[in-house]
Amino acid sequence: MKSKLYFFISLLWLSTLLISCDKEVDGVEELPALRPASTDGDAGGWQMVLLTSPSQITLPAPAATNSVSYQAELAAIKDAQSKLTDAQRATVQYWSAGGTLRWNQILRGLVARFNLPPSPNADGTYPTPDAENPFANPEFPFANPPYSARAYSYVSVAQYDALKAAWFYKSSFNRAAPYTVDSGVKALVPTSDLPAYPSEDAVLSGVTAEMLKILFPAAVEEITLLAADQRNAAIWSGKASYSDVSAGFALGKAVATIFTANSTGVFTIPASAGSSTTTLTLNLATRGRFRTDGMGAAIGTPALWKELQDSVGFGDFYKTNQQPWLSLETPARPPMLPNFGKVAAWLITPAQLVAERPMPPPSTSSEQMARELAEVKSFTENASREQIAIVHKWADGVGTYTPPGHWNDIAAEYIAQANMSEVRAARAFALLNMALHNAGVGCWETKYHYFNPRPSQLDASIKTWTGVPNFPAYTSGHSTFSGAASSVLSYLFPAATSFFEREATEASLSRLYGGIHYRSDCEAGLEHGKQLASYTINFALADGADD
Amino acid sequence: MMPKNDFCTGVLYSHDRWTNYWEGTLKRDNGNIGSVTTQVITWVGNYGITDKLNVIAMLPYVKTEASQGTMQGMDGLQDLTLGVKYQAVSAAVGSGTFRGFVTGMASTPLSNYTPDFLPLSIGLASTNVGGRLTGNYTWENGLYLNVSAGYTWRSNVTLDRPSYFTDGRIYFTNEVQMPNVFDYNADLGYLRNGLQLVVTYQQQNVLGGGDIRRQDMPFVSNRMNFSRVGALVMYYLPFHKNLAVRAMVNQTVAGRNVGESTTLLGGFLYTLHFGAKETKTE
Repeated sequence: MKSKLYFFISLLWLSTLLISCDKEVDGVEELPALRPASTDGDAGGWQMVLLTSPSQITLPAPAATNSVSYQAELAAIKDAQSKLTDAQRATVQYWSAGGTLRWNQILRGLVARFNLPPSPNADGTYPTPDAENPFANPEFPFANPPYSARAYSYVSVAQYDALKAAWFYKSSFNRAAPYTVDSGVKALVPTSDLPAYPSEDAVLSGVTAEMLKILFPAAVEEITLLAADQRNAAIWSGKASYSDVSAGFALGKAVATIFTANSTGVFTIPASAGSSTTTLTLNLATRGRFRTDGMGAAIGTPALWKELQDSVGFGDFYKTNQQPWLSLETPARPPMLPNFGKVAAWLITPAQLVAERPMPPPSTSSEQMARELAEVKSFTENASREQIAIVHKWADGVGTYTPPGHWNDIAAEYIAQANMSEVRAARAFALLNMALHNAGVGCWETKYHYFNPRPSQLDASIKTWTGVPNFPAYTSGHSTFSGAASSVLSYLFPAATSFFEREATEASLSRLYGGIHYRSDCEAGLEHGKQLASYTINFALADGADD
Repeated sequence: MMPKNDFCTGVLYSHDRWTNYWEGTLKRDNGNIGSVTTQVITWVGNYGITDKLNVIAMLPYVKTEASQGTMQGMDGLQDLTLGVKYQAVSAAVGSGTFRGFVTGMASTPLSNYTPDFLPLSIGLASTNVGGRLTGNYTWENGLYLNVSAGYTWRSNVTLDRPSYFTDGRIYFTNEVQMPNVFDYNADLGYLRNGLQLVVTYQQQNVLGGGDIRRQDMPFVSNRMNFSRVGALVMYYLPFHKNLAVRAMVNQTVAGRNVGESTTLLGGFLYTLHFGAKETKTE
């Protein structure tokens, strides 16, 4: 009997060995402390995207390093460093990886958190997220792929322009870092010759927090706490003084305001019955690009949704046996952001965008469409485990950082390994995300121009390996995003071109394997994305950063 | 418990269906899936190494399906479970008998299915090791009460994607930490003359994990808690006393991140006597 018991115990023990007891998953992207190969001292002269010049915002000169006020700042750093807690040291270490990379991670997390479609009302309608009431159900925003493509681009472009302005003043004033000025100040991060005024960390803190607060207002607490951490880390690490940080923070916020200014100075005071509407008027300059780029109208109106449903807006194309798109959700959901194709692109005019629109898809009544539909069905019915893995690798659907986020994820690894300065890292993300946003706009313009149905609409027996997105099929958004991203990343990291192209092709085909796109959606989208990216790459080739 | 050298084996079929589910703690339905049906065919085996020590094995084949929407159902061989059950205590107490059992279980997926297509994945794909303590009191008249509690350690699982969001934050990894599970159940049964009648109550609590967010998809490490009640009938057929039929119904009465499912189960179990004594008695 005893031996049986031993057998039993040893079996339990053996099976416990199969499972490691430490199964903690921290899931944080580990990043080493930033050690830029170059300080990119000339970045103040690189081409701006939205700012008119690096000195558009005038930054006052800093006090001399031998001034009483600066000496007091040094004393404050030394005092703070003598009392650093473990948590404060961890904050210094976290931000030492570089603010551009860290904020990109944070942004991907925010997108995933807010990427949830509104749930239906009891009567079968859907509520609309409200920027003026972001904490309500549904929370604002619904960070779907177009919304997030635009968000990634605004954050990246504002960071990039702000850092170029910062670099302009850094080389103008040439004030050294506290750890260089005073040997009593410890350098808790790798040292650099980069001038400290204004602090690039504080610039990023100011510009990013301002952009994120309007993009993700319900996350205001987390955003402001992180931004404050970043400014504190700059001081605790010995790389910036109080005045370096204050000037940088103000410059960052000022650059953000050029993007986000939300007022012509007129506020309407609605009338109650029997009285007339009045206004409260200030005298302000123009509103920022963020407010005037057409995003406010992207969601459309019930009248537009009805018009689309009846396919009135589609002219001759829909008079010839062509089936218009229908929502496959229950209850039917209004199509996602039907006017996103009219949102301003980066460095592409609306006329250029229309000119780049792919040729029409095969008619839903054509033989080619019948063949493509059969191909989709065959993929869904005979999917291999590897194909399902590819579908899920690239699904990037509800609750994820979206396809633009996936390409930021890929890019972040290459940017982190390239030892870039903050301003060069910001350039990389700005180029990538301008191209991704343009891909989103161009793709949405195409989708709502042709308004083509999904495979499962034409053949209800097609069951998919991922959710069917609630917008027209032609062209594939994933393919367009991936074509654009792989082109820009290949320009930035030419040695990895074949990898980026392979990933883009895989992402594109994943939508065919998943049963939610025809082959022509994928091929046209991939090509369209590459074509749109050429505008961004042409800007990059002439911006002065490669000289 | 199976007596020494007895081997009980059989095949069970179950049909589980739910329309409403708990999105976190919010009960709702969803027009994009309608009703989710899970059908399972399970092979079971139980062998008596001694009268007090049994080994148990289970292998299910699972098929899922949604009645509405476009999502594919999945099917495949799920997880092999192997267990050892030991009768540690047996004593006359009052007018009946008290028995205490210790059970150890381990399970692991036998196919490379994805756990990342819930609610249509065929399983959660973790490798599990569990322990269970069971107390049984049987009265002379055939009535019995079974109370049992188990703890299951679950290995982390790997997804096909490089990041995911759960429990309030994003994870930049394909590895998901699976919280462990505590469960307990109580059965009141009657066993006499080859007839077994049981009413059951079962409670599972996942010791961690996030909720499904509003209008989000379920996720493999969600806190999938439930309370279930059920009834079971097993009958050893009079014309062939080694063959038993079993039928069961289960209803989820409360839950979190699970479907409000109704499960019907039916099957047969056959006992083979490998022992020497068998040849002389039967």
